[in-house]
This record gives sequence, structure tokens and C-alpha cells, in this order.
Amino acid sequence: MLQMRKLSKVYRTHLIETHALRGFDIHVREGEFVAVTGPSGSGKTTFLNIAGLLEEFTDGEYLIDGVPVRGLDDNARSRLRNEKIGFIFQGFNMIPDLNLFDNVDVPLRYRGFKAPERKARIEHALERVGLASRMKHYPAELSGGQQQRVAIARALAGDPRLLLADEPTGNLDSAMARGVMELLEEINAQGTTIVMVTHDPELAQRAQRNVHIIDGQVSDLEHVTPLARVAARGAEAAVA
Amino acid sequence: MFRYYLKLGTRSLRRNPFLTALMVLILGFGVGTSMTAYTVMHVLGGDPMPHKSSQLFVPQLDNGPLEGYTPGDDPDHQLSYIDTMNLLKDGKGKDRVAIYGLSPTIDSGRADLPPFFEPGLATTASFFRMFDVPFLHGNAWDEAADRDGAFVVVISRELSERLYGDTDPTGRSLRIDDRDYRVSGVIDHWRPVPKFYRILGGGGAISDAEDLFVPFRNAIAREWNNNGWTNCSGGRNEPGFAGFLKAECNWIQYWVELPDAAAVAEYRDYLSAYFAEQKKLGRMPRPENFALRNLREWLAFNEVVDSDTRLQTWIAFGFLLVCLVNVIGLLLAKFTARGGEIGVRRALGATRMEIVRQYLVETVVIGAIGGVVGLGLSYFGLAIVDKYGLGEAGIARMDVPLLAATVALAVVSAVLAGLLPTWRAAQVMPAMQLKSQ
Repeated sequence: MLQMRKLSKVYRTHLIETHALRGFDIHVREGEFVAVTGPSGSGKTTFLNIAGLLEEFTDGEYLIDGVPVRGLDDNARSRLRNEKIGFIFQGFNMIPDLNLFDNVDVPLRYRGFKAPERKARIEHALERVGLASRMKHYPAELSGGQQQRVAIARALAGDPRLLLADEPTGNLDSAMARGVMELLEEINAQGTTIVMVTHDPELAQRAQRNVHIIDGQVSDLEHVTPLARVAARGAEAAVA
Repeated sequence: MFRYYLKLGTRSLRRNPFLTALMVLILGFGVGTSMTAYTVMHVLGGDPMPHKSSQLFVPQLDNGPLEGYTPGDDPDHQLSYIDTMNLLKDGKGKDRVAIYGLSPTIDSGRADLPPFFEPGLATTASFFRMFDVPFLHGNAWDEAADRDGAFVVVISRELSERLYGDTDPTGRSLRIDDRDYRVSGVIDHWRPVPKFYRILGGGGAISDAEDLFVPFRNAIAREWNNNGWTNCSGGRNEPGFAGFLKAECNWIQYWVELPDAAAVAEYRDYLSAYFAEQKKLGRMPRPENFALRNLREWLAFNEVVDSDTRLQTWIAFGFLLVCLVNVIGLLLAKFTARGGEIGVRRALGATRMEIVRQYLVETVVIGAIGGVVGLGLSYFGLAIVDKYGLGEAGIARMDVPLLAATVALAVVSAVLAGLLPTWRAAQVMPAMQLKSQ
């Protein structure tokens, strides 16, 4: 579903050069739920932005659903993003002056669906996250957890194959976070591939696979379960 | 998607009514000011007889003395009585009109309406057909009345209503300077703008048409002096009005209708021959110098749209430019503040072009509203121009093309103002915006 080979990303200013990702290799298979962890500044968000075609990469190769994305123009990247990828952000990123119906409608408009199909998809997506009865409400009238559910509905409405989530529970209390996580697991169970960036080891533990990023590279803990990795870190610290 | 963007645009404008109102007002002021100035120039520079302007000509003959002569000088704007009568007599051209101004006294005979001076014209019957003057009642006098200098008069609708109310006065008697004239017709509302047929001495290019018209020969017979502009060169050999008529004084506006290029060429030859003939008779001491200008050339020659009016129009459009710069600044601020939304839309599949379209539609909405405000301000501006500038109510008026041009100018201005902010909006890096949300 998502494959990066020897990928690098360098931010350049006239004074300094920052390597956000270097020799980055990852392969996320169809239907997987992958948690991406790592310390702040390790390159998690850069990875997610590149994965979501929101940023260009400097070197290497990136294939999404078998399609190499290097050299694609803005139209092609936008179409890929619209058709294959759904986004969930830490800050929900609702458009405040659109009600829930219209917020979920946004990606469908760019997809070019006719009004009846858009309506059906919006209603289905909002039903799926339990907010069908509030589709005329505005984001400000909802709790954080509810807003994140709307964001998930918006991400799902176009039936994307890949869902990219950047700290989806970062702004939520534990009860709401649990609810959102359960929803993501349910979505994954129905076949959607999920890549989730998180700082929270407990959430990461619930993913099928963990990828740990340190200094812009995938660490060798990729295939270790999160709990084992926590233990391994403790052991490393003890040795140090 | 246009309707969707229209909905988003209007919603966005409603969300921040103060900023929207500010942009609309700035744009409206710019458009209103520039269109007011442009309308004045357009009205002054308009063709008052577009279907005929290429066929109506003013001949000019240089009858000045040798003293003070500079080669290349234009002949006088008007003709002398001698030349006028000669040209009328020769009968060249399809039709001919001679005009000079009068200001006789009208005595209605009514106790409630004391005698009053009324601006009028001494002219030929051809005046009415050459300039397509509309008649409400009756018609012009005939050629015989022209020839005989008959006591007939054509009056304006305004004068007719003042004297006779709503009744048709055709055939009734009107006392002008102590003589009775038979009213042969009443002309309907007629106010060519600019007043091309008598730019000199007739109150200017923006003034009312005269209210009273009498046969040219009648006015001459009654020794009515010219109420207008007179330019004399040389002395008079005879005293009084008879001497004035024989002097080299130019005071009569002359028009000739020449239907095609051949007629124009023929008339030029005629003027050349006439000039030579007059030279032989001891007149026209200067080298051959005559001109023949059609109506549009005549308006340009007389600078009906003067350089001040043009300058004012340029300044007004400069003001519009300043307004646009302000609108650009406000749009930049508005669109920059919406970076988060742009980031979300880009993440959800909007191409840069979709963002451009969305924000351009929003600027078009601002432009359309600004256009309506500009229209209102243009009307207000024109009312002020009418009242204090031109001195004539209702002259500076917008026609349908100008109305459409006002709205189009506003929309085009708004789109131009929106290009930079929209381009900047489309360049928003979604990743940066999404993280900072």
C-alpha cells in the first residue's frame, strides 16, 4: 500500500541544512494498522506529510498503491490524495463556518461526486461515527472527541484505502481517546490501512505493527512489540 | 463547483462583515469616482448624431487681413454674413444651414406673464431636417418663408407650455419684439449633448437648446444683432446694421450636409474656387486658407472634451488604482488568515487551481457588490456634477453600456486586486498550516 525506499528529506535554508529523513525505508501492507512512534523532532510528522503527499521528498522512492509519486504534478498528487488517502489531525482541523455535513462534503466535492451520492456518503460516514443526528451542527458546538469523529467521518467519506492519523488523540482526554481509538480499530478491521503517528505507547501497543523513528531513520525496533520496546529501552538505559 | 464557491464566498464575506464592507466601500468609491469622471468625458465626447455625423460639415474660410497672418493658422470658426449669403445662394451640398443667436423679447399679452427675453436662433428651415429636430405640434416653416423672411416662429415645448399650457399653439400669434409671428410648430424635448450645432456663443457644449427659432432673413430684416460670439477684422465702410453685414465680421455658424466622399471632394473644390473668386473681388487677402470639418472633427477641433476633463478622468482612474492597492492589502490579510482552511482543503484533495477558483469567485462577489455600490456613488457623483459642475440637470447620465461598464469595471478591478492574494493563497504549504492549527 505504502512503500518508501531510501527516502530522504532535507530542509535547506541559506545557512543550514536539516536532514529530516535519511535512508528511510518502510513498507506498509494493505490492511495493516501501523503505529509510528519516536521522539519529538525525529521525523514522524515529516514522514506522514510525505506519505500524504503534502510535502515533496528530496531523494529516494515512494510508491503509493504501486504508483511512484516522484515527479507527479500538483493535479495528480491532489487527485491521489483525494481518492486514496484520508487524513486525521491532532487539531481536528474542521472548517469552523461549515456545519458537519458541509465539512464532510469537502473532499467529496473535489472528487466530483453528484449531489445525491455525496449526500448518501456524508450521511453514511456520519452514521458510522455516531453523529448522523448532528449533521447541521457546527464544529464549535461539539466536544473535541466529537470533532475528531467528524474528522474521521470526513476522512472516510471518500472510501480511502489509506488513513493517515497524526496524533489523533493528542488533544483528547483518555475516555474520548479510547473511543476514537476503538473507532480507528473498527475502521481498520473493515479493511482500511491505517498509519498513525503517536507519542502514546499505549495507543501504539494497540496497533498491529510499530515503526520507531529516530533521527529521520526507521530504527531496528520496527518489528518489536511496543511493550518489548519499552523494556528494551529500559535495559539500554540500565546499560548506559 | 462555481455555485459551491459562490456559496463559500458569500458565507466568508458574511463572516467578517466589517472587513467586507470596508473592501466593498473602497472598491465602490474607486469605481464610482472613476466612472463619474469617465461618464462626464463620455457625454462630452459623445457623438450627438452618430447616424449622420460623418455627413454634416462646417466650412471655415479665412477672411482675415494680411497683418497678423501666420501660415498654418486655422480659419475663424464662423462665417461672415457675406460668405454665408454667398454659400446659401450657391446652394452647394445636399442641404445648408445658417445660424446666429438672438435674444428677443416675448410679450404673451397676459397680465400674469410680463414680457421676457428668450434665447433664440435665427436659422433656415433646413435646420430642423438636417439636425433631426422632433416636432410635438406643427412643423418647420417652408422654403418660401425662408426666402421671404416671413414672420413665423418655431418654439420649444417648454416655451409653449409656459405660454399656452397644454394646448397646441400652432397657427396662433406670438408677439416678438413688438411684431406678431405665427407659430408654425412646437419642437418636442430636444437637447443634443454636446450642443454641437452652436458650440460658440450658445452657452457652451453643455447647455439647453434654444426656445425660439425664426427665419434667418426675417431676423436680418429686423436688424436683430447677434447674441453670441462675433469676430471682426478691418473697419466698416457703412454705419449701422447694414455696415455690420458688409464688414468682415464672422458671427454666423454655417453647416452643410455632404452625403458621401465625392460630395466632400466636390465641396472642397467649390470652397477653393470660391476663395479664389473672392480674392479677385478684393476680399480674402491671405493665401488660400479654408477648412471643412465633419461633426466629430468639429467637436475635437473645439476641444469639447478639454484637457482638464481628460486629466480629471486620469486622476480618477489613478484613485481607483490606489483603492485597488488597498483592497489587495485587505484581501491578503483576509486570505492569509484563512491559511488553515486552505491547508485542510489542500489535504482533502483541492488542487492549487481549485483554491485559485474558490478565492477568485469570492473576489468576484466583492467586485459585484462593489460595482453596485460604485453605481450608486456614480449616480451621486453625477448628480453633483450636474448641479455644480455642468450647471444642467440630467445631462451627465449613464446609459446602459455605461451601467454595464461600471459593474464590469468593479468586477475586473476586484479580480485584478484578488490575483496576488489568490496566488499567495494557492501557494500555502498545507503541511505547515495543518501542524500549526
